[in-house]
Amino acid sequence: MEMDAALAFELFTRTLSYWWLILIGTALGLVVGAIPGFSAANTIIILLPITLAMDPSSGMIFMVALYTASRLGAGIPAILVNIPGTAGAAATPLDGYPMAVAGRGQEALTISFVSSVLGGLITTIVALLLFPWLSQLAYHLHSVEMIVIMLFGISLIATISADDTLKGLIAGLFGLMIGYIGADVVYEAPRGTFGFLELYDKVPLIPALVGLFAISEAFVVIERETILSEAGRAEAASHGWSPTFDGVRATLKEWKEVVWTSLVGLVIGVIPGAGAAIASFVAYQQSRMFSKTPEKYGTGHINGLIAPESANNGVTSGTLIPLLIIGVPGGATAAIMAVVLEYHGVNFGPDLFETEPMIAYGSFTAMAFTYVLLGLMILPLSRYFARVMIVPTVYMVPILIAFTLVGSFVPRAYLFDMSVAIVFGIIGYIARRTGYHVAAILIGIILGPLLENYFLRALRISQGDMTVLFSSTLANVLWVALVLSLFGPAIKRWITKKWRA
Amino acid sequence: MSEDSNSQPKNVLPDLIIPVMALVFTAYYLTTITEVPWIAQASAILVSAMLSAAIFAFAIRTYLRMRGGQERISWSAIEIDRVSTVKRIALLALTITYIAVIEYLGFTITTFLFVFSAVLLLSSLAHWRSALAVSFSCATLGYVVFIYFFQTRFPRGPVENFLKGVL
Repeated sequence: MEMDAALAFELFTRTLSYWWLILIGTALGLVVGAIPGFSAANTIIILLPITLAMDPSSGMIFMVALYTASRLGAGIPAILVNIPGTAGAAATPLDGYPMAVAGRGQEALTISFVSSVLGGLITTIVALLLFPWLSQLAYHLHSVEMIVIMLFGISLIATISADDTLKGLIAGLFGLMIGYIGADVVYEAPRGTFGFLELYDKVPLIPALVGLFAISEAFVVIERETILSEAGRAEAASHGWSPTFDGVRATLKEWKEVVWTSLVGLVIGVIPGAGAAIASFVAYQQSRMFSKTPEKYGTGHINGLIAPESANNGVTSGTLIPLLIIGVPGGATAAIMAVVLEYHGVNFGPDLFETEPMIAYGSFTAMAFTYVLLGLMILPLSRYFARVMIVPTVYMVPILIAFTLVGSFVPRAYLFDMSVAIVFGIIGYIARRTGYHVAAILIGIILGPLLENYFLRALRISQGDMTVLFSSTLANVLWVALVLSLFGPAIKRWITKKWRA
Repeated sequence: MSEDSNSQPKNVLPDLIIPVMALVFTAYYLTTITEVPWIAQASAILVSAMLSAAIFAFAIRTYLRMRGGQERISWSAIEIDRVSTVKRIALLALTITYIAVIEYLGFTITTFLFVFSAVLLLSSLAHWRSALAVSFSCATLGYVVFIYFFQTRFPRGPVENFLKGVL
């Protein structure tokens, strides 16, 4: 069924009729997204009895609303207390948290919300218009191309610690080594597990994230009265609605940044298994590389917040494309959506757009509606969310430790994972105190296993021939783009300097 | 920063903890992959070589800076704020105890006890009333939201089992 005005109008009115369901899904998604350890995937699993009882289109609309809102919700703790709600928001604190500490939490939240909503809306519309072509992307991106895409994200390790690149490299490479813990994907041989069966399935990501960010931060801030710096307290005391308007204006002024980083997210989201974490790191790295003021990144720079937030919301619509068109879920949440739809006897593939337009097209219209609703709901709340920052640390620290530790237990229900969070908390604390970037360690832990998986697959297919890395045209184009994005800005600056001299 | 502190060479002993940890872990990791096929070793060997090279470069840089009088390595010069350090160690001990007993006492009681003791510790026993109120609110809210509504698999104990029978 071709998308025409009549169908678009019908989709719009039918989606509107589900406003109450979208509202519930949105509210729930915001809450679960903001709590580390809880994710849209976990929540949809918990609510399976409800979603399975709904008709397929209602169930899909509810799941899409919850998934979309959870992506946005994950940025809230990342900005306010330096704890990403999910791995997809792991790049958000790089600039969001320094803004919050400086008393600009309300503005940072607004920038995060506006860039998430705009990025999500733009990519949902693009996905709706271009899904037949976008779905083909997954067929062209194989292990070799994915290795180069991973390297885009990993190269952030070198640039993230611009003040001491050597320490940044040590932290990032240490993270990569930690990421290699577990059984390898091809031979299932356990490596570096210290004999713990719980580590055979890699280092659990949420406990690592909770430890490196939340626990270590809690141990650092206990000396302070509040999380805010002295200057930040004075800045925060004068807050009215103006930081919200400033945040909206600042984001709209950077609309080009929102558009292109959200499209980066959309393209990466289409690739099954890639995910929001890669998208946000790649978008951040690209944003920094092409910035005229790269030195400002990591200090509370607006573009450093816009890039990961737009990108991880761009992933949301991208994830649905391979699911709906070829039946391959782009991520964990999409996989659970597939289970629910298959339970109702829905067959995926191009025919889905003919037989079930309300599910196929309706998923995207529900997503767009959710973003509009989120924009209206959450912007006024930024002022009140920001008040979390003035809670005294004597209360904040114990609450953070207790809830994030239990959050690290939730994904796998292993008490062992809480101990993992403590170990990473100690590593994170030492790293913070001695000038090693915890985000660089985390990038290694997140991207290391993915890079190794693709590397192993590529070598296995080529029977150990390393030249496979340069065996496809697309991969070679990506290699050139990687080299250009790494060295291009420096060369450009050098040429400009020479020219002026 | 004062001029005095600028003129003192920086003590880089704490900065060596992460590189040493990384080296020890890498050495251990490499001992666990000796039996696996080379394809499964390749990526880790490449990264461990890069890590070792970065640490070697860091060591050379530190040596050169020590010779130049900018840095030094000294056990005695590590500056420690005793009050904060005692609080941190006690908080770490409380956190480890929290993990150790949550399996037996369940989420609600353990969270109440942990938040109560941690607030008392961090406020130097000054806010016992607010510690009681905050810890009770956290435990109750946590139970209602996560266990009652979301039905999450938080560790269950006497309170959760009792309330399950009642509600």
